[in-house]
Amino acid sequence: MLAYLLNLATLMCINAVLAITLNFIMGYAGIFSIAHAIFFGVGAYSAAWVAMNASANIFLVIPVAMVVAGALSLVLALPALRVRGEYFVAASLGLQVLGVTVFSEWKSVTGGLGGMIGIPPAEIFGHAVADPAQFLLLALCCLVPVLLATGVLLRSSFGRNLKAIRDSETAAYAFGKNVALIKTMSVVISAMLAAVAGALYAFYMGFINVESFMLDTSVLLMAMVIIGGTGTLLGPIVGTVLLMLLPGVFSYMSFLPQTEIGSIQQIAYGLAMVLLMIFRPGGIVGSGKPRAAKEKAA
Amino acid sequence: MTKLSKAFKLGVIACALAASAAASTASYAADVTIGALFPLSGPNASYGDIFGSGANLAAEHINADNLLGGKLSIQYEDSQALPQQGVIGMNKLVNVQKVPYVLSAFTGVSKAISTIATRTRTVAVNGGGVGPDLAELGQYFWNIIPLANYEVRAIIPYLVNERKMKNFVLVYVDDPLGQAIRKELEGALPPAGGKLVEALSVPATAQQFGGIAARVRAANPDVIYVASYGSQQSQIVKQFRDNGIKQPFASYTAFSIPEINAQPEAAGSMYTSQNIDWNSQDPVTKRFVDDYKKKYNKMPTAYIANYYNAVRMFGLLAQQLIKKGQPVTGENLLKQRVETKTFDLVGGKVSFAENGTVTMPMQINEIDGKGGKVLSTSAK
Repeated sequence: MLAYLLNLATLMCINAVLAITLNFIMGYAGIFSIAHAIFFGVGAYSAAWVAMNASANIFLVIPVAMVVAGALSLVLALPALRVRGEYFVAASLGLQVLGVTVFSEWKSVTGGLGGMIGIPPAEIFGHAVADPAQFLLLALCCLVPVLLATGVLLRSSFGRNLKAIRDSETAAYAFGKNVALIKTMSVVISAMLAAVAGALYAFYMGFINVESFMLDTSVLLMAMVIIGGTGTLLGPIVGTVLLMLLPGVFSYMSFLPQTEIGSIQQIAYGLAMVLLMIFRPGGIVGSGKPRAAKEKAA
Repeated sequence: MTKLSKAFKLGVIACALAASAAASTASYAADVTIGALFPLSGPNASYGDIFGSGANLAAEHINADNLLGGKLSIQYEDSQALPQQGVIGMNKLVNVQKVPYVLSAFTGVSKAISTIATRTRTVAVNGGGVGPDLAELGQYFWNIIPLANYEVRAIIPYLVNERKMKNFVLVYVDDPLGQAIRKELEGALPPAGGKLVEALSVPATAQQFGGIAARVRAANPDVIYVASYGSQQSQIVKQFRDNGIKQPFASYTAFSIPEINAQPEAAGSMYTSQNIDWNSQDPVTKRFVDDYKKKYNKMPTAYIANYYNAVRMFGLLAQQLIKKGQPVTGENLLKQRVETKTFDLVGGKVSFAENGTVTMPMQINEIDGKGGKVLSTSAK
């Protein structure tokens, strides 16, 4: 039982990093990206490649993954500077499709659809982190700094600039804010931190293929953020824990037919999302009222 | 006095409850649970139902025969055909349910769980994926389905020598499965007297094949080998026919799904599968076919037989271990499989290669719109 819980907790940490980083651009900068799984994937593939071809030392692997993802995130930042709202969602969808195609077809680096197997365990000062409890500790050691870093950034003038752009890009521009630079930086920071989750995932699974970085993953991450509460620090973590615990909880309900649990779970997810959006649009941690209503009241 | 009598009564009830709990534990002492990691939700959920129907029937037969002296149950976990969900499910099966044996499906899931299988010494058995890379996932990962390279080797002599089809065009998904089939065709066709005139790759998610059809028509082959899976292969068949391609199709076990067998455009297609004579009088096969038809009112397919066989093989191995007084663990199951030379499964006697992949005779089937017919059988 302990190993199962450790496994769940580790994957929760990894997904929480992703949800926090997505919330950073979605909840604070108003950049609704459905290509977040691509940066997760870029981090995972970069980490796997370095670990298999050079060294599995996390002090080398994680920075490399972050740099690669950060550089590639400029591809996403470019449309973010030009379009907003639903137009950006469409642009990020294009990037998601493009990314999946590259992951599937660039066989010499990603292993194609067959993926990369035999990724060695992460190493810290020559010690292989293969034990599940040790890996959970490593995942926590990545989650906490990511949470702290985003928290500090959001409390700084940079965070206030992000919120200003989210609420009114034109007003922020009129106040002399460098909107293009702030948007680009937010996307780069988000992608770099998402790559940390990618590197952890590659080490933990020992195998990666494109199936982990598809549109479904991006949508799931978005659901984690929305359910937990967009624009809140703890919301993404709450959303992640909830969405990752629910399948396990359902599978323990012995009165449900085993082979139908998956379908029941999907129905429950759908219903929960609809009810949440009606009665608590700000998410579990967020405000009970939609932002528009709050603005009107103010 | 009243208090004393109440305490006495409570004591008696507690003892009775404890005794009944102990008795119930004793009566189920030999109960065994195995795991199954199938997609039960999402776009591949139908495969979970198909695979599960074979596995459940085998468990029913094992229980009816009292093969294990206790009840065999299958604990299902939803993999959604995704690696991460597969790993979560595998962890639960191994660490919470403590199962010694897990049925697996889909290459991504199988590869992702193979590390846990090796580390925890739990046997994982694949009955659906046929990519040759599945043979390299360690000694605790078994394949109870012949892999694609065996299937290609079986169909080439039949097509070239008996059907006089010399020129082949291959349409394949560019993944380890498709690449292995291409390699096999390139290597095996020339010595057999055939020629691979064109090999056309398609992305796994592609659903439009008009352009590919034009190239196939230009190549004018005698036969088109399709190395794809899922709904894509139905689309290839339909769109090729819509584009005026008349040549027959050839493929591997993936063509054994009901959707293809019922597709009018697929009539005349030939595909390999492990040799199972559905009309065989062999008691294991006959019982499987009869009971499956009775229960589901349709003929079983090779995939269903594979998962039936996977569970039946567990029953046979566990029975031998119980007879020896050894615990049913993954480690002992592996030892017992190596010790046991052949198994009586659906389709006849089968054996395993050292890498944990089954070796069995193959057959070539033709889709005739009436449930299919066997054209030829080949040696293993």
